[in-house]
Amino acid sequence: MNTTTPAVQVRQLCKNYGSVQALKGVDLSIAAGEYFVLLGPSGGGKTTLLRTIGGFHKPSSGQVWLNGQEVSHLPPDKRPTSMVFQAYALFPHMTVLGNVGYGLSLAKLPKAEVRDKSMAMLEMVGLSGYENRRPHELSGGQQQRVQLARALVLGRNILLLDEPLAALDAQLRKDMCLELKHLQEKVGITFIHVTHNQEEAMTVADRIALIADGELVEQGAARDIYRTPQRRFTASFVGENNLLSGNVTAVEGDTVTVEVCGQPLAVDRRDLPVRAGETVALSIRSELVEMVSADGTAAADGCSLSGTYAESVYLGLTLSHRAALADGTEIVSRVVGESDAPDPAPGTAIRVQWKPGALRLHVN
Amino acid sequence: MDDYANIWLHRAKWAYLLLIVATLMSPVFYVMYISFNENGFGAAQYVFTTRWYGLIFSDGQLMDALRWTLGLAVTTTVLTIPMGLLAAKFYKATRAKVAVVFLLLAPLFVAPDILSAALLVFFKNVNLSFQGLGDLAGVSFMDAWFRLGFTTTVIGLIIYTIPYAFVVILITMGRYNKEQTEAARACGATGWRAFWDIEFPQIRAGVFSASAFTMILCFNEYTRTSLLKGGFDTFTTVLVSQMLNEGMSEQSYAMSSFVSFVAIALIGGIIVFTLLRSEAAARRAQPVAEPNTVPA
Repeated sequence: MNTTTPAVQVRQLCKNYGSVQALKGVDLSIAAGEYFVLLGPSGGGKTTLLRTIGGFHKPSSGQVWLNGQEVSHLPPDKRPTSMVFQAYALFPHMTVLGNVGYGLSLAKLPKAEVRDKSMAMLEMVGLSGYENRRPHELSGGQQQRVQLARALVLGRNILLLDEPLAALDAQLRKDMCLELKHLQEKVGITFIHVTHNQEEAMTVADRIALIADGELVEQGAARDIYRTPQRRFTASFVGENNLLSGNVTAVEGDTVTVEVCGQPLAVDRRDLPVRAGETVALSIRSELVEMVSADGTAAADGCSLSGTYAESVYLGLTLSHRAALADGTEIVSRVVGESDAPDPAPGTAIRVQWKPGALRLHVN
Repeated sequence: MDDYANIWLHRAKWAYLLLIVATLMSPVFYVMYISFNENGFGAAQYVFTTRWYGLIFSDGQLMDALRWTLGLAVTTTVLTIPMGLLAAKFYKATRAKVAVVFLLLAPLFVAPDILSAALLVFFKNVNLSFQGLGDLAGVSFMDAWFRLGFTTTVIGLIIYTIPYAFVVILITMGRYNKEQTEAARACGATGWRAFWDIEFPQIRAGVFSASAFTMILCFNEYTRTSLLKGGFDTFTTVLVSQMLNEGMSEQSYAMSSFVSFVAIALIGGIIVFTLLRSEAAARRAQPVAEPNTVPA
């Protein structure tokens, strides 16, 4: 295979269920050896996209290309993909070894080879010694590892993972995330992982595509998606962003002035087509917001808003301070670590501020 | 029974259940009782014998009827079970579930006499049409296609048994997760291989139960077979006609009992096997592994 050929290409992919459009002309390209995550809210179309890539759904229109070949018309067993399902997809009447070796048996490999390869794969996923157990004798995490082994043993170069960690508890999910990432680096094949959990996505992904309402909202490196979201939806879904709405009062060069609750805020234009009088959205990550007393040191011009303190929420590693702007919009300031200083009383006048460049502009 | 349940209420429920079973089975047990009486039904003196069981195989009419019934039952089962299975799979796949259930269960809502009479008229008309068609074409091979006989009886029995087979298979299929089929497809299995390797082993008990049930229904059936059978007799029609004309012979009691023994053993065997299997599965499920740990 040409290494420059994308492992997966999706071109203008649409999938309709009656009058419901689950996918609306999605274009996507995933490089060989990439760990790619489809992230989005439930019902957004990410699983439909994954299953269409895997051949479990036939596109209503558009094309799926795998390793440079158009495969839209092919069933799952004819595609160079394997898949890990959310749960309950192990064959309960077979042993762990039987499950892992099933695909190799279908390929009519000699029994000894099937056994050797399956045992090696079980060792790779940390399940040596479990080969004679039945699926119901395994914990949830172990069952998912068996699914991984069953998919990886086939030696295909694209692995689809449909919310593989959704049924696991929080700690196990974290552990498995890292394991998945390390495993992908070890085997070097393309992983396409569907999840609605942003922490999971951030942990494993080389790149993330945000899917919502059947559309590809935004894609990019995990860090970029988190730190510099291009779209308002991305800002609302990834991380903990404060979203503000305001009217553009002036556009001067690269700076746009937006009035929020009667106070002017300065924001980078980012080459966006924006005009004075237009209603726009602004986002700022909660960890970039500082909450100070109303008579405290003022930030740079256009980088602060006044409001009233509401409450603080202790989250262990971080502490969230919540305040309300004049129009009732909630704004959150998240700080790491604990302070012995008492929180302001609810209703106290405060000022929220940030460094220039922290605020991001979003237009419709 | 939960920890707070009334023990006497619990026992009363079991007693009620046993009473119902006893009431339902009493006539069968009574026939069995008579079948071992040297003096037959209604005799003042009961003398135990197994002689009638030895004689049942010498009753030519009864053995012929048994052979026909067995043939009908096997043919009907062989045809009904795949049809019921396909119907259940279609039901699982389709969104129009109410329509499928209605269509498949519809034969149950029509009285057997009416359905049988309707089929009788239908087959006679179809047969006449084929005969007419054959006459026009100058051929005769179609003349017997729908003449009352084995084929028409099998069709009638399929219509009768398919709702039961469908329901029994569907119940077992309810626990099957279709992601397993998809997982098999992702491993490279064709649709058929995925069904045969993965789904069928998990619904096998339902398929076998449905087969046994269909066989028994065919043995039980009277109305449809009597109207659609044409020139041969079935086990039930012989028994009923004997009853009506001259009373049942001692061999008939023995044969009825024999068939009941087989049916009870078959159904009982399936129930015991299923119970033992689920208990064994529950025992195996108990020592579930410790929570997962990250491998070194």
